[in-house]
Amino acid sequence: MRMWSIAGREFASYFRTPVGWVVLALYLLLSGIAFAGTLEPGAPATLRGLFGASQWLLLIVAPAISMRLVSEELRLGSIEPLMASPVGDASIVLGKYLGALGFLVLMLGVTLVHVGVLEAVADPEYGPIATGYLGLLLTGALYLAVGLFFSSLTASQVLAFLLTFCFFFGLHLLSTQGALTLPEPWNEAAYKLSLAARLGDFAKGVLDTAHVVFFVSTSLFFVVLAALALESRRWR
Amino acid sequence: MIDVSGVTKHYGSVRAVEEVSFRVPRGAVVGVLGPNGAGKSTTVRMIAGTVPPTRGSVSVDGLDSVADSEKLRRRLGYLPESNPLYPEMRVVEYLRYRGRLHGLGGREGKRAVDEAIERCWLGEMRRRRIGALSKGYRQRVGLAAALLHDPSVLLLDEPTSGLDPAQIRETRSLIRSLAGDRTALIVSHALAEVEKTCDRLLIFAGGRLRAEGDAEELVSKHGPGNVWDVSVELKNGLTRGELLKRFGAVAGVKSAVERASDGPVGEREKTGSASASGDGDWLDAVVTFTEERADAGERLGAVAASAGLGVRRLGRRAASLEEVYIGLVSSARDDAAARSAGDGVAAGDAAEQQAPEASGAGDRAMEGVS
Repeated sequence: MRMWSIAGREFASYFRTPVGWVVLALYLLLSGIAFAGTLEPGAPATLRGLFGASQWLLLIVAPAISMRLVSEELRLGSIEPLMASPVGDASIVLGKYLGALGFLVLMLGVTLVHVGVLEAVADPEYGPIATGYLGLLLTGALYLAVGLFFSSLTASQVLAFLLTFCFFFGLHLLSTQGALTLPEPWNEAAYKLSLAARLGDFAKGVLDTAHVVFFVSTSLFFVVLAALALESRRWR
Repeated sequence: MIDVSGVTKHYGSVRAVEEVSFRVPRGAVVGVLGPNGAGKSTTVRMIAGTVPPTRGSVSVDGLDSVADSEKLRRRLGYLPESNPLYPEMRVVEYLRYRGRLHGLGGREGKRAVDEAIERCWLGEMRRRRIGALSKGYRQRVGLAAALLHDPSVLLLDEPTSGLDPAQIRETRSLIRSLAGDRTALIVSHALAEVEKTCDRLLIFAGGRLRAEGDAEELVSKHGPGNVWDVSVELKNGLTRGELLKRFGAVAGVKSAVERASDGPVGEREKTGSASASGDGDWLDAVVTFTEERADAGERLGAVAASAGLGVRRLGRRAASLEEVYIGLVSSARDDAAARSAGDGVAAGDAAEQQAPEASGAGDRAMEGVS
């Protein structure tokens, strides 16, 4: 229950400050533009345009969602009463993660409007749409987990944002450039790190368990790291 | 009950708290007093379990702060220094949230919040956003949050900082009324406040506990000692000097000097007989005994009587808690200076032994080392 209280507070706090609304509006506007661009007579009735654009939009939007999770508590000092309340560090971190995840789900949920539009004007295939959303959700969840981890390291939200962004931007460069330039078998390994490639499969309608396991396990890994980072404050 | 035993906290090379031991019995309201950087807040954090001790142990009602941390935190009501709150939340939302963190949900949580709001006079502010509240109200929100789960132990770090005198008075009576059968530890650097609110005081300086006891005990143990003010008639050809000499010759007297007119505390004795302040026919003297003597007053009176002098005043000086506090804090500063002069070695123990201890508190502090 305590974890859910924290999740609830986090989720609600996105709507108590302008940041949440701005992030939401920005994402919907830009993803809407991307979607509208793919709406042409004769074009396939898919959301691949939306998914393709969203993975890049999320690179900015997700760190903006996650940056405040722990950093703000560190800056305000409100981490002190939080850590003095009878809640485990893992529950604190997990609660915050779930709150942010809830916001992500809501944000992606609003884009279901586009599915309605497709349905109205054409006859879309629902398989790839469902897997595409799943892929987007898993990607966003990973972005948030890494963002949560960096947020737990610093009291500066700006720094938490930049570290998260640079992490994924670096990962993208490594996976694309690495796949092209590195020698065997490193190029293969680099390609495995490519989130875009994995998301591409989802958008095509391919539901690969390996991808799901990859996203879920790496997300959990970073959530655990964040919990350890918070707990380490008790040792210092 | 709070039991702090031999607790030390180092942050890297900074020694925030050194070998502090004390107990707060159940139901007692104890004030923690000391200058900035004395280690008060760090000690409170160690009790709250947000900071673990480097050495030593803390327990609350028998629960260890590290091993049983979560259980211990259930019993604590904690108002941290600077009272951090979420400015974007409304008062009632925030309190409901803090209640839920303590497992108070639903109707039970609602009732607890309503009660806390009423006790802390927050009724009119319940729907206000915390960020829009004045500092005094924010302080009350922090207090309400600290007590809404009916904790058996209250830890209040600077509960009245930044409040105006009227608010300080209100908060003080609020704390007293809250205390009841709760154990409370109240950190402050306002002496008058702590003196009025608390049964006992702990005086910290330089990371150590320098003294503890109620105000009376502190004054008698750490005050200037057995000091008497004597005011006698000057006649029969006696000079001030001679008379002072006679007082000085009384058994057990360390010094007898003329009292300066109302100079600041501590300066009075130093000025001595040089400054003629008596109004012509009277001598105002300050007589200090080396130790407690039951017959001190009689002996001083006898001096005057044997010379046939009238006595206008003969009374023991009551040292104020403020003097005691300042004395303890400045001797702690001297300790620190002595330590840094004779230090340079990383091993703290060697350096500590060189440093003269201010008081009895030093002895107890050393116990935990071996």
